[in-house]
Amino acid sequence: MIYRISVPAVADVEEIRVLEWHGEPGHRFDSGDLVVELETHKAIVEVRAGQPAVLRQVLSEAGKWQQIGLPLALLSDDAGEPLPEEVDSAADLMVDFEIT
Amino acid sequence: MSGKPAVTTEKIFFREAISRAMREEMRQNERIFIMGQDVGAFGGSYREFDGLFVEFGAARVRDMPVAEAAMVGVGVGAAAAGYRPLVSVTYMDFMMLGFDPLINYGAKLRYKTGGRLTAPVVVKTTAGAKGQGVAHSQCIEAWLMGVPGLKIVAPSTPADAYGLLKAALHEDGPVVFIDHKRLFPVAGQVPLSEGMVPIGQAHVCRTGTDVTITAHSFMTRVAMEAAKLLEADGISAEVVDLRTLAPLDMRTIADSVGRTGALLTLEEGQVTCGVGLEVIGRVHELLGPIPSARTGALPAPVSSNKVLEAACLPDAQRVLEAVQMLLGKRSRRSGRKIASFVPDGQ
Repeated sequence: MIYRISVPAVADVEEIRVLEWHGEPGHRFDSGDLVVELETHKAIVEVRAGQPAVLRQVLSEAGKWQQIGLPLALLSDDAGEPLPEEVDSAADLMVDFEIT
Repeated sequence: MSGKPAVTTEKIFFREAISRAMREEMRQNERIFIMGQDVGAFGGSYREFDGLFVEFGAARVRDMPVAEAAMVGVGVGAAAAGYRPLVSVTYMDFMMLGFDPLINYGAKLRYKTGGRLTAPVVVKTTAGAKGQGVAHSQCIEAWLMGVPGLKIVAPSTPADAYGLLKAALHEDGPVVFIDHKRLFPVAGQVPLSEGMVPIGQAHVCRTGTDVTITAHSFMTRVAMEAAKLLEADGISAEVVDLRTLAPLDMRTIADSVGRTGALLTLEEGQVTCGVGLEVIGRVHELLGPIPSARTGALPAPVSSNKVLEAACLPDAQRVLEAVQMLLGKRSRRSGRKIASFVPDGQ
């Protein structure tokens, strides 16, 4: 199954900047692994995988800006699953996020 | 050479525009230093001084106790002694404590000494409402506009915050630099090349033909939002971001009002003796009677209760209705007659 990670809804934030991806495409994240760090106007948001998944395609590289709710990356259960052309058709990956 | 156009700007947070301006100026002028609460290792209440403590050290990025009168006093004195301090007063409400050194000493020093002494101090402060209640939400910039010798800037974008703060740090007299709590979540394009925004220049950020709306700081965004709503109602609004409140750029303002023939002023503070009244008065002196009206906070304290806070402050809908009333039109959207939102007796 194909999943996407989107910018989580953080209070008072309209837009974030991607600070760092913690894996290249092809990397398998386990539940609880730090996937990506996002920068808001006053904090860092740590986004952790809530389920195991393989990072397939980064849609917003480090340094890029993205608005709340919009996709950051595509992931899948298996490394070889074909990616859809439409990002919107991907399900939301379960994530935990923490604001530090 | 690639065919791509050269990249000349970068998108950064509002706070980064401030830290960048400070960093560039502090590298070039060792007489510039920062004083304020939480400006040091903490990086500023809005992280707007991030990284400066590490680069410049505790002598140039000085944490201060909660003592605004002392901070502004030390700042004015250090400026008179040849330094260029930036005093950070976290909430504009507490600038009241620093009025004596700022107004009685800083703003008058050059005049009083026949030019032998100047007070090149920047007082940076954060105005506006964001849920923090009666004594942490006020916009009192209008109180300062009548002080000879004081310049006041109030940017609405990261680019203007960057450029105006740099310009303020080059001034020979005191400058009050006002940002806004609701501007800190904002990001925007800022030129990659170093530069300043001249003090005393307003900016037409939207052209229109039916009415001029003047605003500053966060309210410029509200004015832009209202202009979009007005467009849907068939009214073409021009928005002038004042950027500098003292000295006011009357040429840009009067040019705009002369073209549109109507003026609505918008501010987050009180309208009584407010920024808008000053703008209207000067426009009338220059152009004669022009249909004009003010929008601002209702005459009530700004509550920390969200419902009461929102009720007190102007928003795009209130601006829309004020413009419709000014132009003698009914709202097509609601179909109802526009009632005055100003309570009786105001």
